[in-house]
Amino acid sequence: MTALDLRDRAAPPSAAPASSRPGPAALLLRAAAALSRGLFIAVPVMLVSTFITFMLGGLTEQDPASVVLGDSATPADVQRMREAFGLDRPLLLRYVTWLWNALHGDLGASWFTKIPVAQSIAERLPVSLSVAAGALLIAVVLGGVFGTLAAVRQGGLLDRTVTVVTSVLATVPGFVAAVALITVFALIVPVLPAGGWAPPSAGLGTWASFLLLPSLALSLDAAADVARQLRTGLAGTLHENYIVGARMRGLPGRRVVLVHALRNGAGPAVAVLGMHVPRLIGGAVITETVFALPGIGELTKSAALSGDVPVVQGALLVTIAVVLVSSAIVNVLLVKLRPAARREL
Amino acid sequence: MKAITDALRTRAGAVAAIVLAAVLVLAVTGPFLAPYDALKNSADILQPPSAQHWFGTDYLGRDVLSRVLAGAPASVFTAFEAVAIGLVIGVVPGITSVYLGRAYEWITLRIMDGLIALPFLIFAIAVAALLGNAVHQAMVAVGILLAPSFYRITRAAALSHAGAQYVTAAQLFGASTWRVLRTHVWPKIVPTLVVTTANATASALLIVSSLTFLGIGVVPPEPTWGGIVAGDLGYLAQRPYGPVFPSLFIMATVGALNLLADAIRDAGGDRGRARTLMRGARRVRLT
Repeated sequence: MTALDLRDRAAPPSAAPASSRPGPAALLLRAAAALSRGLFIAVPVMLVSTFITFMLGGLTEQDPASVVLGDSATPADVQRMREAFGLDRPLLLRYVTWLWNALHGDLGASWFTKIPVAQSIAERLPVSLSVAAGALLIAVVLGGVFGTLAAVRQGGLLDRTVTVVTSVLATVPGFVAAVALITVFALIVPVLPAGGWAPPSAGLGTWASFLLLPSLALSLDAAADVARQLRTGLAGTLHENYIVGARMRGLPGRRVVLVHALRNGAGPAVAVLGMHVPRLIGGAVITETVFALPGIGELTKSAALSGDVPVVQGALLVTIAVVLVSSAIVNVLLVKLRPAARREL
Repeated sequence: MKAITDALRTRAGAVAAIVLAAVLVLAVTGPFLAPYDALKNSADILQPPSAQHWFGTDYLGRDVLSRVLAGAPASVFTAFEAVAIGLVIGVVPGITSVYLGRAYEWITLRIMDGLIALPFLIFAIAVAALLGNAVHQAMVAVGILLAPSFYRITRAAALSHAGAQYVTAAQLFGASTWRVLRTHVWPKIVPTLVVTTANATASALLIVSSLTFLGIGVVPPEPTWGGIVAGDLGYLAQRPYGPVFPSLFIMATVGALNLLADAIRDAGGDRGRARTLMRGARRVRLT
């Protein structure tokens, strides 16, 4: 932390000469390198989690041959169908083939509709990603603002309110938050649609109006956690000697809080945000159900309930990949924010 | 142990314990306390709360209070089931990973990392639906997904005590690994473990209520707290306060568990909350 502070003092961003800092291209390159390093570490994790996902299909008692063919199928028909689906081969071989094909963008086809899994996922991923991104944005803004304000006004009314509200929000199940938001903003004060989806091509305003409530419902949990962690992290940092030093040197309070303290105190909050990313993508199934969004969670749920194994496996694989990529990004962000965090990696 | 009794003496801890005890009593006796038959339809549909029906009636004229009470066991005990599974498959490898050699350590670490990458709710839904639509399958899945946090906590605690001088001293005196574990390491882990268990139970309750809300692992007329909210969903225009009653029970239970966890953590003087979270994030960050 001392090293960081020294560097900050030596080259304040406002007076940074262009020559002493790497250009934007080099910065981008370095970020990309760090990101790919993070993704490389994720390979064994990816193997384990995809294997577990694939095993689901191996363990299920759903036999597509008899499910698809119905009760009147003869054993010979079933056998032929099993061969057509490749179910007669050993499980491990099927896993390797599946993973290899998935790397080439082929996730197989639905057992029932024959629609390629990759295609149905590609149709739905934008919905899930935009809701997740919206939720992430709301969580960062709400959590950031209230966390910072609570830390600055430690022990004040705002601080206590934030503490109480975040503790209560942590106990609210996702579907209750969604239902409450619908009740308030679609039934009592009908300003926003209660559910459904419009693509951005239907007009950005319409798109945003369909996006706002689901994103808000999804973000509350994360926002509460970020606010709480930021408050704790910042509150500790604001008592550090270098903050007192910065104040004594006459730096404006806003700069001390937003530059000096935030950079060191935001670590836990960013880490918590990283832990919430999988939930924003994988946990959105509740939000998607309540708001009738055609997202990937809803796809997985309906496929699982009808026993459509390839769709479930493909959707889980894509979700895991998105989760791993976003954790790698959070990783890079954490190191950028606080270079000392690299030692903890 | 002292941390737990100390926590119960604080006001927050006492309140949490009382609420939890009340919920447990309800979960055991709820079905017998219900004033009406929770499954019986009647002509008085969508009634507001009254002296006869404290929480009103639902769209089939069923008494909501009776449904909430009758749904208590299914809503609370299933969460315990998941946490128990998570405890066993998290704690045992967590402690043994410190003692059973590098290869075992590496393998358990990778498996736990892989489990963390699985999206929680969707995975539970997939397991429950593909392995037979039953709540026990879903709870096994939730338990497996809860295991990494138990693994991480116990491993961190075991690691920090495994190298302590008094442990080395005990080993030099000839104590077996088992004895070191039982007398020196285990008592140090217990307070952390209780805190984690309380937090995990809170999240398990939220997941169980989410699953039952989606209708996973429930047979329709049977009441559960999540399922009651799902049933109210189509009648928000008539009864906008309908979801409040079952939700309050969920929130009170979850809140009490979180409060208890915080009280025990504070009483234990464990100021390592931010650290634990950083540690957790490190695992999520897959290194």
